[in-house]
Amino acid sequence: MRMTIAVAVLLALLPLGLPPYAMTLLTEALIMALFAMSLDLMVGYARLISFGHAAAYGLGAYTCGNILLHTDIPLPFAVLMAGVFSGVVAIGVAWVCTLATGVSFSMLTLAFGQLLYAVAFKWTSVTGASDGLAGIPRTKGPFGTAFFGTKTGFYYLTMACLFGSFLFARAVVRSPFGAVLRGIRENEAKTLSLGYNTRLYKIAVVAMSYMLGGLAGALYAPFAGFANTELLFWLLSGQVLIMVIVGGTGTLVGPILGAVFFLLVQQQLSTYTDSWALVFGAIFILFVLFVPDGIMGLARRRRAH
Amino acid sequence: MDFLAFLVTQCLNALSQAALLFFLGCGLTLIFGIMRIVNFAHGAFFMLGAYVGWSAVYVTGSFWGALVAAPILVGGFGAAFEMGILRRLYGRDGHSFLMVTFGLTLMMGEAIRLIWGVAALQVVMPQSLSGIVFILDEPFPIYRLFLAGAGIVVAVVIWQFLERTRLGLLIRATSQNAEMVHALGTDVRLVRSAVFGIGCGLAGIGGVFAAPMVTASLGMAPNAVIDTFVIVIIGGMGSFLGSMIGALLVAFVQVFGSYYFPDFALAFMYLIMLTILVVRPGGLLGKEA
Amino acid sequence: MAGLSRRTILTAAAASPVVLRHARGETPIKIGMPVALTGPAGEIGTQMRHGAEFWAKETNAAGGILGRPIELIIQDTTGDPATCVRKAQDVVERDGCRLLFGMTLSSEALAVVPKLGEWNAIFMSSDNGDGRLTGSSFVPNFFRANISGPMETRVISLWLRQGKLGKFFALGMDYAWGHNSIGVFQDEVKRAGKTFVGDVYSPIGTKDFSTYITKIRQSGADGCFLVLQGDDNAAFLSQARDYRLQDKVQLITSIVDLNSIHAVGDAAIGLAGSTRYVATIDNPKNQAFVAAWQKQYNALPDVFEGEQYQACKMLQAGIEEAKSIDADKLRPALESAKIDSIKGPVAMRACDHQAVQGGYIVKVVKKDGAKFPVPEIVTTFPGDQVTPACRQMTFDS
Repeated sequence: MRMTIAVAVLLALLPLGLPPYAMTLLTEALIMALFAMSLDLMVGYARLISFGHAAAYGLGAYTCGNILLHTDIPLPFAVLMAGVFSGVVAIGVAWVCTLATGVSFSMLTLAFGQLLYAVAFKWTSVTGASDGLAGIPRTKGPFGTAFFGTKTGFYYLTMACLFGSFLFARAVVRSPFGAVLRGIRENEAKTLSLGYNTRLYKIAVVAMSYMLGGLAGALYAPFAGFANTELLFWLLSGQVLIMVIVGGTGTLVGPILGAVFFLLVQQQLSTYTDSWALVFGAIFILFVLFVPDGIMGLARRRRAH
Repeated sequence: MDFLAFLVTQCLNALSQAALLFFLGCGLTLIFGIMRIVNFAHGAFFMLGAYVGWSAVYVTGSFWGALVAAPILVGGFGAAFEMGILRRLYGRDGHSFLMVTFGLTLMMGEAIRLIWGVAALQVVMPQSLSGIVFILDEPFPIYRLFLAGAGIVVAVVIWQFLERTRLGLLIRATSQNAEMVHALGTDVRLVRSAVFGIGCGLAGIGGVFAAPMVTASLGMAPNAVIDTFVIVIIGGMGSFLGSMIGALLVAFVQVFGSYYFPDFALAFMYLIMLTILVVRPGGLLGKEA
Repeated sequence: MAGLSRRTILTAAAASPVVLRHARGETPIKIGMPVALTGPAGEIGTQMRHGAEFWAKETNAAGGILGRPIELIIQDTTGDPATCVRKAQDVVERDGCRLLFGMTLSSEALAVVPKLGEWNAIFMSSDNGDGRLTGSSFVPNFFRANISGPMETRVISLWLRQGKLGKFFALGMDYAWGHNSIGVFQDEVKRAGKTFVGDVYSPIGTKDFSTYITKIRQSGADGCFLVLQGDDNAAFLSQARDYRLQDKVQLITSIVDLNSIHAVGDAAIGLAGSTRYVATIDNPKNQAFVAAWQKQYNALPDVFEGEQYQACKMLQAGIEEAKSIDADKLRPALESAKIDSIKGPVAMRACDHQAVQGGYIVKVVKKDGAKFPVPEIVTTFPGDQVTPACRQMTFDS
């Protein structure tokens, strides 16, 4: 807890010292961090490996974009609503996907994600098809919500969402509910035989994961000012999974670091060379070979020495 | 064009597409069957095949040369990668393989851009295959018939290889019980290297076959990898026959679906996949994973 | 507020002589160029980069603009709108660029354009085809030096009015550019009193075009309008030749470029279409440009290389006129900018920031001695016929 507060204070003070471009990059990194952390809830704690988590992100982004474009609901509420909506949709998705387990579960999530992508391409009135939604505003409202429309304010909003979600996710995994999830991860048959309806638990965790992932997407839409089909594409699902693994699964903090690492390294590398992908790819391979448990594993090992 | 001619030519089109998908799918499924890894870089090997094919045509002046050179070189590279990197990771969970093959995909894409450049390259098909035949008065490219034929030949060869040869037997045995094979005194590591090489080589030959129809270009890898996943999942991960059925199913649905319902062309593939997985979670012929 | 702004102006006025003296020959003019160098759009992005680099080198050798050298800050967007916005933000906020080139895809441009006001930056487009950028999505800091998608289609329609073809089918990529261009084409065909028999859209990344080719054959059309790009375009042209589609149907494409011709070789022969730039344009400016280009790159300049060069020249004319790169001074100067371009006279229009320019129809022919087929100019149409009315994407007559 002390660590969490220290990091929160540090992040809260950063806008005082950082130039605008770094603030922008940091905000995006924190959004990605939230997205990666949301996936870890499924992957790390229940071994439900999703290949379609972009669906959560895209759903959140499109929902939030539409709310902001077509209603007067102020920014923070729109973001929350979009997150919740994403979670509600996930109940249906999870109901189908949890019919299967293991690799088949992963493939079902992929199928859903890609289906959503295909639908977004055709449902012009809601998604703007291939153009996406552009010019998404940061709608102001009463009670000082106007502040969140500014660069610094948006950063704090993102930070608040990330920390709120982190505390929520941590409470979930430390609760008896979380213990059952870990039971599913280690041995589903046994957990089932103990009298737990494991499928319901799985549906619940997928819904939570989608809700937080949707929250991340919902932040992205007003952050970038647009939402488009790329946000639903399987490539993003793959990338966020890599972020989780780089950070270390089942740690919540790890994926946050993984996402920040992924985004900042990619950004910095591509500033220096067109062949960034060569170096970036090599980093992943070396990572697997020498840092098998991800960034968190590395941190833990150093502490042990 | 009367309906019969339409039906026949469309079916032939679907067969030729199925052949291409099959080259990709059966490699991926073989690799999965033996190693339980999802080779994310499979599309990159397909693309590498097309580019190596281009160079082989450039050097030898013959498409046939490319058909021989590309699978050997691409398969060799795949086997080398298995021996150099993947081999160190067995016993770890699937995450490691996902990340390594993701990294490899990035590196291969960029390496190809550096070596062959950013512009798409034309691979000319041999003169003997570039003509047309008339099927019920409709012109049909010989190359597509050749492709469908090649698909059947390769399928039979692999099938016979798995059934009749010693390595094939070892591969089947390893996919069922690796420890037992190891206990019986066979070096399972060699079997794995061979299978990864063969799988990548098949993707590579697929790349050469595809190149005259789509050119060798940097967009090949991401396009191919998702199609391959879909057919392998439909057929059942690890099932050779399944990858064949998956390829046929996807090709026919694509060809006829995009004719009758062009607006849903993109969604079809995923709808089939979703339906099949809901009914049979392990895919058509797969064990439930 | 009023007090503050007056004071700012006074300070600026007092400081300006010093700043000017300091600037001469020293502070470079920084131009940010987020452009797709890798990924499927990398081919076009790389051309754009060549065009801009060629211009920067040439201009710097001649003493720069206003005595200041040009510095290009080029960043790879991979063709992804999210990355593009990040990179654009980066060059603006970190490197201090207030001038932008690049944004290879229209989806990238549409994502970036709403931010230009906040950044106080001018973006001179050299390849974005989407009609809405100078229509419903117009912002004051966006300028388009290139021919837009609707203009390409218009050039083709004007040409078809003169021709013998009577029945048309259309095949486009299933995204905004495809739908918009075919929409314009359909109107134009009807206006010309000819028949439009149908259209179909292929998803981006389609590899097998056999079904679409069947549809074109069955339609009974004698001309087929194509709105395809990159890999999809190459795949379609290769396969169309496999089916001998060209024997029955004249293929007309919205854009003819050398890269595509090189990718499909002889399958491009007979293809007709509009082009935004072609190296064989016959005027002294272009001949000099082509000669210098060949010396540097040992190849002919392609469509997006020529278009980028023209966009650079347009921006240069604006800066020289405004004697400043400040958006508020540069904007009015650009709005009335006229240049003698490699394509002849080109004039920026104040009402929607679209450059008015002529359009070309080319046909791809086989030439003895040339390794690849070459595009030859068939006819040209003047800018006033080709450019739509202000902020419009369609044409009235």
